[in-house]
Amino acid sequence: MAKYGIGQAITRREDQRLLFGTGQYVDDVAAAGETFVAFVRSPHARARIVSIDSDEARAMPGVLGVFTGADLQADGVNPIPISTPLKRADGKPMVAPPNNALAIGEAMYVGEAVAAVVAQTRAQAEDAAEKVMVEYEEQPAVVTLEAAMKPDAPQLWADAPGNIAAQTRFGDAKACDAAFARAKHVAKVQFHNQRLVPVSMEPRGSIGEFDAKSGRMILRTSCQNPAGLQGTLADAVFKVPKEKVRVLVGDVGGGFGMKTQLYPEDIVCLYAARKLGKPVHWRASRAEEFLAGNHGRDQTDRAELALDAEGKILGLRVEITGNIGAHASGPGAVIVVAVGPKVITGVYHIPALDLRATAVLTNTNVVGAYRGAGRPEAIYLIERLMDQAAYEMKLDPAELRRRNFIQPQQMPYTTPMGEKFDSGNFPHMLDRILKHADWKGCDARKKESQKRGRLRGRAISTFLEWTGVVHEETIDLHVEADGRVKIFTAMQAMGQGIETSYVQIVSETLGIDAEQIDIVQGDSDIAQGIGSMGSRSLYIGGSAMMTASNDAIEKGKELASSALEASSGDIGYKDGRFTVAGTDLGIGLFELGAKPPERRTAIKSTQKAGGHTWPVSCHVFEVEVDPETGVTQIVKYTTVDDVGRVINPLIVAGQVHGGIAQAAGQALMENTQYDAESGQLITGSLLDYCIPRADDLPNFDTFTDETTPCKINPLGAKGVGELGTVGGTPTIINALIDALRPLGVHHIEMPATPERVWRAISQAKAA
Amino acid sequence: MIAFKVNGRTVEVDAEPDTPLLWVLRDYLNLTGTKFGCGVAACGACTVHLDAAAVRSCVLPVSACAGRSVTTIEGLAGDGARHPLQQAWIDRQVPQCGYCQSGMLMAAAALLRANPNPSDSDIASGITNICRCGTYGRIRAAIRDAARARGARS
Repeated sequence: MAKYGIGQAITRREDQRLLFGTGQYVDDVAAAGETFVAFVRSPHARARIVSIDSDEARAMPGVLGVFTGADLQADGVNPIPISTPLKRADGKPMVAPPNNALAIGEAMYVGEAVAAVVAQTRAQAEDAAEKVMVEYEEQPAVVTLEAAMKPDAPQLWADAPGNIAAQTRFGDAKACDAAFARAKHVAKVQFHNQRLVPVSMEPRGSIGEFDAKSGRMILRTSCQNPAGLQGTLADAVFKVPKEKVRVLVGDVGGGFGMKTQLYPEDIVCLYAARKLGKPVHWRASRAEEFLAGNHGRDQTDRAELALDAEGKILGLRVEITGNIGAHASGPGAVIVVAVGPKVITGVYHIPALDLRATAVLTNTNVVGAYRGAGRPEAIYLIERLMDQAAYEMKLDPAELRRRNFIQPQQMPYTTPMGEKFDSGNFPHMLDRILKHADWKGCDARKKESQKRGRLRGRAISTFLEWTGVVHEETIDLHVEADGRVKIFTAMQAMGQGIETSYVQIVSETLGIDAEQIDIVQGDSDIAQGIGSMGSRSLYIGGSAMMTASNDAIEKGKELASSALEASSGDIGYKDGRFTVAGTDLGIGLFELGAKPPERRTAIKSTQKAGGHTWPVSCHVFEVEVDPETGVTQIVKYTTVDDVGRVINPLIVAGQVHGGIAQAAGQALMENTQYDAESGQLITGSLLDYCIPRADDLPNFDTFTDETTPCKINPLGAKGVGELGTVGGTPTIINALIDALRPLGVHHIEMPATPERVWRAISQAKAA
Repeated sequence: MIAFKVNGRTVEVDAEPDTPLLWVLRDYLNLTGTKFGCGVAACGACTVHLDAAAVRSCVLPVSACAGRSVTTIEGLAGDGARHPLQQAWIDRQVPQCGYCQSGMLMAAAALLRANPNPSDSDIASGITNICRCGTYGRIRAAIRDAARARGARS
């Protein structure tokens, strides 16, 4: 019997298919009799659609239909809704141009879908799409944040004056002014968090099907939340009863937050399938992913920190401006104005805060969730400020942090944002990272680097992040007569190894063999819930696994008491067997499970947690710069991560590694560049958009700390998926600046490419 | 008709000669283990072997395969259940989302054939495929493990 308990470094069961070419990603599936769709996309950043002539396309071989926004509208298809109840500064609800699956009247960004062509083969659809004649009348567009916020800027939407979709204000401006008035030192920063493309290696794709008999629409897609997509499709887009829509998901080749959204192409596949009575299959090209898969980040931030003579923080002023693209249907705005600000004060006791955040519309692709979603930007801001203050006040950056930590005895602690931290021991985490990273030994390493003509820099970040979204998840657990426990969940595997972690929790709690446990996911028919996003899969989904398993034992005790004719108080449970205390009477879990007429015992269990979790981490990073070329090399990277209770240390380490890799991408190489005038995407392929490869990243030394488990969920887990990404960018950039300060360089924008570093050095020399 | 071997089996496909091998494998032969990533040979998700060499099948016209031998992830293990690299990938817990790993394994197998005992820097310069989950550290370790296992066997 192989019981895989909590905390063991077992290998993942997912790999048995993923390493042998037998995984089932969305494009590995073909529906019987399927047809193919290709999209006609706007070549303009903003243009009125004067006319669409599809006669020639319709006459092309194999073409079954050409559809426009007007066709969808005539058939009652609604835009993707704005689902977040945010407000503008004037108190009116957030507004933006409607996100129709195919643009109606006006195209709002380069790459927005304007028409769709369905044909017997993919090649036929693509050829015919080129024959759709769209007459455009170009309109003045705004591409950058700066352009969108000019007083005389063209307006994307009449009800969103100033191109402002939503705005928030947090803290106490008066108290903050008073804090700055008595400050002995004020440190200031201003920078841009550049726009990123998530680039899941599996491009998006969808197959729409329509079952005429039942009137059901079935969407096979690659997403993180099948039940969530079902809800949006049924309730908002097609306005049909929920049971008329089913969403199926197989293996997901990377999500990173980008696959949490319903996309226009999903809607078109379903619409065309219903219209034509045939399955309609779409696979994104990589170019389409760059143009029209949600982007991430794109914020300009200004902040200042007031400190007293001893380096104790008195107050923090923050101005966040985020570019959310042309539509507000995704989480872009909420990330800017609500999610990021939750962690803006980091792990520090900051008595006064004044924060304003603004979500701005531009004629660019929609910005949504990308690993971290607001928290990397916020932690970048506070950690850059801490290093700037430490430098200016001539304090060790670790010491400045230590002086300002929220202390363990202050837990539970409420921040000026109104967020409540349940747990965390920041001074203890700092002690550990300084030891593991050999903080004191860096001076010797700097000298050694110098001998080789290299500049070594070092930085530390101490931070936390917010996980959660919604603190509730319902799962079904069936004890089946055939000796299996089946668990049905709306959470979704996408590479985070969640299937294995769930099996470990259930195996330990029920005391049964891991091989007897099936985790069933990827089908809106079998489970309803929020899905996998915001690092919530483990702390809430895993807690649900534990609670459902315990519920199964409790219900089993009741059933066993009647089966064994004993008082339920006398029934015990161990290793898959119920027994009566003091006797040799007993009955097996599965034997008991088979007693009901349906030959199974079904448990439905709703798990609620007492709030968000706050994973804590420290990163220390050392960098070497070649001042002649500007080439930056990551030479030493250490983390200590408090993710609460660790279910599988191998998976946790892998998640941290991946998070740092994506942070390194943002810090050093990735950049999404639109032409500021024309709004054309310049970095639209993997030849133009640089992603870390094997020779860019060293091995990382990662350690976990389980001394302060989460107190507000039964598992004690905090989450890990985004943690490495959240702390990586400030650590890398602060280390780079530390290396360059002796040359007079005190700021560098991301990505710190060799060219940018070299120019910064040259300019500092010239000054 | 273009005839070539795939995983030891001779196939004949009725495809346009300039059709990329990737789509012949996936759409004509239903070998879906080889993945589409970028279409411009930049990411390596589509890596297969043409004779002994790793090639990016998204830009390789199928006509170039005529009379030659193609090996895909489905054929990597040969007669065995697992190639030493697949075992090493499991032991080191390399994959996360797994999408790029078919191409990674094929690239690694070709690297080991050319260089049975690669250093970390040989691996870093030899494996140019992209893994967005950032599993490079474990890929390096797994390739070294597999090299050692092969060395011990021979």
